[in-house]
Amino acid sequence: MTTHRTARLLAIAAALALLAGCGAKEDKTPPAISFAPYGEAHNAKPDFAELEAQHPLSVEELYKITPKNLALLEQEQVDQIYARLSAGPIPEGPYEGDLFFPKGGSGKLRLSEIAGGGLKGLLVNVAGKKLDLMGEILWKGKVFYRDERLLRNRIEDLKTLKAVGLIEESDANPLQEITVNGKDQWLLFPAQLYCGQSLLDGRRESIIIDYAFTDQLPGYRRMPDMMAGRDGFAIRDEIRMIRPGLYLGRAYIDRAFVVNFVLYNKAVDEAGKAGYLATGKTAEDCWTGTQHRQLVAAAK
Amino acid sequence: MVRLFLLVIALSASFIAPVGRLAHAAPVVHEQDIPYFDSCAREGLNASECAGRLIWFKATAGNDRFHTYVFQQRVGVLIDWFRVLRSDERGERFRAWGGINDPSCCTPGDANCPAKSLDETYGLDWCPGDEELLKYVGKAGYTDPACDFHDAPLAEGDVHGPKDQRQSACDLKFGTSTGMLGIRKFPNPRFDRDKWVKLNGSAGSWEGYNRKIPAAGGSDEPAKSRLLDGAVEPPYLIGTACGSCHISFDPLNPPADPANPKWENIKGLLGNQYSRISEIMVSGMASNTLEWQMFAHARPGTSDTSAIPNDQVNNPGSMNALINIPQRPVFMGEKVLKWRKTNSCEGKAGATCWCEPGREGKCWEKSLKEETVHHILKGGEDSIGALEAIQRVYFNIGSCSEQCWVNHLTDLRVADPQQRGFGQTPFNIGQCRRDCPNFRAIEDRLGNILDFFMSAEARNTDLREARETGLRKADPAATYATQDLIADLEKEFGDGAVARGQQVFATTCARCHSSQPEAAAGQFDALDFYKMDEKSGLRTDWLGNDAPTLVSEVGTFRCRALHSNHMTGKIWQEYGSETLRAQPPDPNLAEPADGGRSYYRNISLLNLWAHAPFLHNNALGPELCGKPANKANAFYAMRPRYVDGDTLSLLPPDQQPACWEYDPSVEGRYKLYKASMDELLNPAKRIPKVTLLNEDVTLRVGPRLWDGTEKEKLVGFSLTIPAVIDGRGVNAGTVGNFQHKTFVVDLVQAKFKPKEVEARLVKQWGPDAGKRIFTDLKGITEEVSSQPNGLVEALKKRPYLVKQIYSSCFAEIENAGHRFGEDLSDADKKALTAFLATL
Repeated sequence: MTTHRTARLLAIAAALALLAGCGAKEDKTPPAISFAPYGEAHNAKPDFAELEAQHPLSVEELYKITPKNLALLEQEQVDQIYARLSAGPIPEGPYEGDLFFPKGGSGKLRLSEIAGGGLKGLLVNVAGKKLDLMGEILWKGKVFYRDERLLRNRIEDLKTLKAVGLIEESDANPLQEITVNGKDQWLLFPAQLYCGQSLLDGRRESIIIDYAFTDQLPGYRRMPDMMAGRDGFAIRDEIRMIRPGLYLGRAYIDRAFVVNFVLYNKAVDEAGKAGYLATGKTAEDCWTGTQHRQLVAAAK
Repeated sequence: MVRLFLLVIALSASFIAPVGRLAHAAPVVHEQDIPYFDSCAREGLNASECAGRLIWFKATAGNDRFHTYVFQQRVGVLIDWFRVLRSDERGERFRAWGGINDPSCCTPGDANCPAKSLDETYGLDWCPGDEELLKYVGKAGYTDPACDFHDAPLAEGDVHGPKDQRQSACDLKFGTSTGMLGIRKFPNPRFDRDKWVKLNGSAGSWEGYNRKIPAAGGSDEPAKSRLLDGAVEPPYLIGTACGSCHISFDPLNPPADPANPKWENIKGLLGNQYSRISEIMVSGMASNTLEWQMFAHARPGTSDTSAIPNDQVNNPGSMNALINIPQRPVFMGEKVLKWRKTNSCEGKAGATCWCEPGREGKCWEKSLKEETVHHILKGGEDSIGALEAIQRVYFNIGSCSEQCWVNHLTDLRVADPQQRGFGQTPFNIGQCRRDCPNFRAIEDRLGNILDFFMSAEARNTDLREARETGLRKADPAATYATQDLIADLEKEFGDGAVARGQQVFATTCARCHSSQPEAAAGQFDALDFYKMDEKSGLRTDWLGNDAPTLVSEVGTFRCRALHSNHMTGKIWQEYGSETLRAQPPDPNLAEPADGGRSYYRNISLLNLWAHAPFLHNNALGPELCGKPANKANAFYAMRPRYVDGDTLSLLPPDQQPACWEYDPSVEGRYKLYKASMDELLNPAKRIPKVTLLNEDVTLRVGPRLWDGTEKEKLVGFSLTIPAVIDGRGVNAGTVGNFQHKTFVVDLVQAKFKPKEVEARLVKQWGPDAGKRIFTDLKGITEEVSSQPNGLVEALKKRPYLVKQIYSSCFAEIENAGHRFGEDLSDADKKALTAFLATL
């Protein structure tokens, strides 16, 4: 399975290089962040508590991260960043999103492969296209309704969903719309927001975006929303704050990790930069644990 | 009503006398603590022993988050606390869950109960301290009663003394009782009463929270409930103390009504022989889930303590009865790598020496030394010291899970060997000490808990004394002397039975079940099992030598002996000694048995009359059941155990021996002892017992989809363990023992790295078997590549892969083995039964 996955990653490396070549300078190179040494096997990875004690992040390092350059890191490096973050405040308002497979994927037509493992024959009735379609939608733009502990996903183009018959619409339950940056967008896939357990790092809570009981939320429509719910793909995301306006997320399908994603709000990022660089402090809505989190530059 | 009040300790005058050194200042004593102090006085405990008792009964060390959030969200297993603790079923709690009701608690609305409605207590019992606690449900600011814990004086000679630098007692976290002893509750500051009422209809109902919601995919899919919904915050966080498994009824003074015990009926160290803690832990899961199947087949009084830090070796074991601990054998010269107290780390490396910031010379250093240690757990796995063995109990109950150990667990759904969670990694004691204040709060008081273990509360509870206590309830002047007991036993088992039984025991059993040096030397004639130890005032012989015996020699159900959590690289590595891990594997086993595994220690037979059924899994003797009125909680009825030994299929209902209803009375225990001894000494009479799968169980790895447009669509893969293979039933443990990750990795690599896989299989299993396995793996990859759902059928054709090759333990009969004594004459068997009843 590992070999097969590696082969896939190599096969799409060229595409990655092309993508990386299109952005700003800081997007083209991996962020210069300290990491603990690690090996290939699961038990050759450092314990997160020791990682944090030996390699505390600085606020300056956090500002080296862009929504694009995380994808240039290895998965273990992304995990080491995630573990050294705290949840921060539950966001408010619209956020741009993107999913990424470290050192590899286009993010397209991959979810079904990953979910199935390396041996195609192990799959049972692969629902690959629907799963990949979900990937195209769910980890893109979002709107947070912090006070309601509610999130909705922003869909710019309904054609693909309609093409596979996954949009139910009626006068009694019309699609909700929102305008972001001058663009009309539709709001689908409502999810609950709460502070909860990270499935990667238990030492402090993450912000959970949970679709399990999407059918209990206002604005729910059976199709397509149930696909993300407990009887569908059972999607549960968790996010932690890199810095105000930028969050790193991990997406799980039925408790299996499938993809990383970032959420970014440029206005919040720019508004909060000076203050965060100076203090390294931000509001914390979730349990921050009992291990002292060092944020080196924050003490300056 | 004033529930919290200042008392000078003189209020508990009877407690003062043995304590002597209690504080000069007037400590805060909570009403909930008064029965505990009374118990300390009744048992004659000193200040340290009493402090240890209070901690053992009440301290959760912060595991309320584990039992409310971590187990549910991270591990993926749901506990329905309301189902277990609902006050309107208080009278059923013992029968259903084996839980012991807190005598100080009451059902709201009952006469003299301070709470008048279930809405006031959110459906649970009212318990002392709740008048304060209930004010903070949905609010921050609760001050835990543990903050007023009155520490015993620091032990003389404590390396970190004489200044008292113990971690704040607040971090012990007591909360208040839930009504079930050992289960504690805390106000949830995130609780929103309005949302709760909207979900459930009223404050005292949990109906909307725990109601089963059918899966859209049909009844084959497990039903769900809002217990799964992390956005719902319940009114309480629920924690467990060590007492949740170890608090028991006193064999000397059992309650007249087990559902309504009094404090004098309660002991802290004998182990709850009726506890269904495993069923409690999966009480929110549907029975057709993998998790329910893995947890909910332990017998009453047993628990698979490696079910959470899962080593995929299914092995429930009994809560050990802690009796006459000062006489328990210790082992000299064992190699122990551990942290020891010191005063300075100057010039020493941080990885092996650490001082707590803000303290003066409160440091620990890690080093390898030879020590004298106990062997604790069924195979003696906890072997670096008694204090550390107690310390590890707190991880069994969930303490410091987030800070210290969930990141080291296996995630059953991670199938990629490169991903974290594919397997265990070792827990780090030094890291936990640094990062978890609850760890330090317990560690700084481990001496108190050990003192409690060594105290009079753990003294032997002999049948003679039990009968005398019973007689004195009718006649306070009644006596029942040893000669009375012997006379009664000989009426039952024949003249001279006790004396003859002693001879039989000395020559047949004492080589393992005596701690006297003469037994080890083979000087059986010199053994005196009634001799008293002058120093401890206890019987000298512990009736067990605690030495390791190869599991193939003892012959009992071997899965527990194959438990792997203390091996190098596994989660509890730091709690096993190097001496333990150097033990050679049992050469007679086909399963992996390396790393010091494959042994059972020779246990104590003290007070055997009160501790049937026998063996580490409570499988030898009649099956026990509670027969609760609520049939949804009648767990034995769901899983009868007696099988046809040839086909391993369940015996028909009319051939199933009836289960014995829980009976903690003196005569109830004695009858159970006799029936269990009869089966022990007459293996031919034992009807084989196997906990069988009662339906096919599917392990699903990877996500699935039911999108409502077609019947069902799945992504990922499924492995189904059939309930019957080749006409034979399948042990439920097969599910937990199946090494599905190794299987999947081999399956995939058989396609991509065939030579490497074949060589490894040949090396492990020999040329013939190795090639056969490899050929079958290749065959499976071809079959599943061409057929949807092919994996299930492919495995059914090759059942040995599931039951043996990729199983950590393939033992089946749970009440087999320990046939020692079967060749004795009937008279000698009776004599042995009579003799053991006197000890």
